[in-house]
Amino acid sequence: MSDEARHERVSEPTRVSEPRPTDRGAWRLVAARDFTVRLRDKGFIISTAITLTVLSTLILLGAYGGGDAPTYRLGVVRVTDEAITAIEEAGAGQGIEIFTVPFGDELVATASVRTGDLDALLLADGGLLGLDTVPAELAQIVRDAAARGRISAALDDAGVAPSQIEELLDRPGVEVRTLEPQDPNRDQNAGIAFVAVLLAYGQLFGYGVWVATGVIEEKASRVVEILLSTIRPRQLLAGKIAGIGLLGIVQLVFIATFAITLSLATGALELPGAAIGIALVVLAWFVMGFAFYAGLFAVSGSLVSRMEELQNAMVPINLIIFVSFFISIGALQDPGSTLATAASVLPFSSALAMPVRIALGSATAPQIVLSIVLLLAGTAALVPLSARIYSGAVLKTGSRVKLRDAWRSAASERTHPTTEG
Amino acid sequence: MLELTGLRRTFGDLVALDDVSFTVPEGTIVGFVGPNGAGKTTAMRIALGVLTPDAGEVRWRGEPVDAQMRRRFGYMPEERGLYPRMRVLDQLVYLARLHGLARSDARRRAEQTIEVLGVADRAKDRVEALSLGNQQRVQLASALVHEPDLLVLDEPFSGLDPVGVDVLSGVLRRQATNHGVPVVFSSHQLELVERLCDAVVLIDGGRIVAQGTIDGLRARRERRRFLVKVRGAGDGWYDSIPGVELTEATADGVVLELADDVDEQRVLDLARASGDVERFGPVRATLAELFREVVGA
Repeated sequence: MSDEARHERVSEPTRVSEPRPTDRGAWRLVAARDFTVRLRDKGFIISTAITLTVLSTLILLGAYGGGDAPTYRLGVVRVTDEAITAIEEAGAGQGIEIFTVPFGDELVATASVRTGDLDALLLADGGLLGLDTVPAELAQIVRDAAARGRISAALDDAGVAPSQIEELLDRPGVEVRTLEPQDPNRDQNAGIAFVAVLLAYGQLFGYGVWVATGVIEEKASRVVEILLSTIRPRQLLAGKIAGIGLLGIVQLVFIATFAITLSLATGALELPGAAIGIALVVLAWFVMGFAFYAGLFAVSGSLVSRMEELQNAMVPINLIIFVSFFISIGALQDPGSTLATAASVLPFSSALAMPVRIALGSATAPQIVLSIVLLLAGTAALVPLSARIYSGAVLKTGSRVKLRDAWRSAASERTHPTTEG
Repeated sequence: MLELTGLRRTFGDLVALDDVSFTVPEGTIVGFVGPNGAGKTTAMRIALGVLTPDAGEVRWRGEPVDAQMRRRFGYMPEERGLYPRMRVLDQLVYLARLHGLARSDARRRAEQTIEVLGVADRAKDRVEALSLGNQQRVQLASALVHEPDLLVLDEPFSGLDPVGVDVLSGVLRRQATNHGVPVVFSSHQLELVERLCDAVVLIDGGRIVAQGTIDGLRARRERRRFLVKVRGAGDGWYDSIPGVELTEATADGVVLELADDVDEQRVLDLARASGDVERFGPVRATLAELFREVVGA
């Protein structure tokens, strides 16, 4: 390297083409770096593989295992054939298959209940014996069958013709009608929505944490001082959020495409329309939700200097996302509840709650519009706040930075490290 | 020309900089010298805009420095910083592009720079896999990669081996002489500063205590000292001369400090009278001596 000739060759004035005058486009360079570095990251590849494996398992289970009507094994001790037939018919009437297993001896039958071979045992006295509990569905069927037997016998005694008895008992009693009929695909959609909200939660949380750790990485390695002597904090922050967010979108699209394709191929899903629609809704709210949360994650990262301190700094925002996740899971059962409705409109929780309510057909158009407006407005309000605190904190190393100090020291565009020299 | 004018900066009760002014003219290498905690890093951070002064301003080519100008500066911070897991060449290309270079220029310049600094064979390695000395070279490359209009380097020589010191000295000299780039760097290696710099700025306790060319500082600050060796003269032959004091006795002779009104020719005459004069000449103060004198340590 002390070779003088080489020095002279490379130190020829190689003035480069005129540089761009401002750093306005710098965020794109930052975004491209944050995107590609993480795309090649081993952790990213592994986590994608795990997600795909879990999803495939769920889909294959849905396609080939379970999913059929429930079946019960009911032991019977000295019960008449008519009664057995009545129980089996009552079950079949509700789409439930009941296998009856006759026993001569009550003790032997009880042992089978104990081993779990039987769901319940119908005794000669009409009692039902279970291990710790008897499935409510099964008990109801047995009860109905017994009642039907007694009514039938009483009518017979009263001289009612057997054909008439049958007609009386079998006539459909109550026809159910609804003012707002449920989507017949609601169960399937709820299943898709469950998977979708799980994914969206993982995505929001995981990529948010990535923003925070990305900020700390630059802070801890001190490269941030070089970056900020070159571009402004806002450019750095915007680029980081855009790059990581884009990776989140790409991964989400990839996973959704994979899952829907696999579901169609295995027959777990018959019509892709609903699933694609739900995936798009989740994606849209992920983009808006990520924009909303990412600034807060960046702030948590900028306030501390070491990874170990990050967990504490992220507690408030973790809590918000966690609670909205639980409300969203609850909304799968009751999407019209006041809590679910409020959560789907408020910007702190709508990213997870609204897609669920849309998937279940429970959200009204005004609610959807309000949700979008509030989420976008919330983001617009939060981003400048986050950017200012980030700018004020990101060059301060050492102990955790107080929010107020960060806010104050960012009064001007540039920032003040605490270390003096 | 980079001009720092009347910079003041406090951290709580600590006054880090107090009315600091100096300039770094085109094509000049300025050494920024002072004890630890004197304010060198603070001044450099302010010049690069990562820190705002409480008072004063930084001007570049006559204009207050803004973000666009700063993009054309090269900076090596006191606390080194690179992405540890990024590969050397990728990292430099990225930083060059942040400084505004087009993709192809950035790549060419990155390759040239690591070549000059002797780390071209580590282009594909992650920075964290490099020795500290080589990390330092990559750090320097990051300050040079975009052909900056100005170089501000905080302790660029610390951690370099003698070969690295020579390489960097050569790079800085060529930047200043061939490209007219003003260079300012801080260092505790005063011999190096003396050899390399056209001018020095001495700072202590947040105040500039001396600045100018090293010769100029000598002329202003140097005490009149002469190294004299007289064979055959007894010890203390100079004791009788008023205004002459012994500062040091060495194997090469005695160092005598002369008061301002003492004519060195008269001392020489007296020396001749005492024996055979083998050596009689002024002692040039080193920068280290000037520094100690100014800082009062």
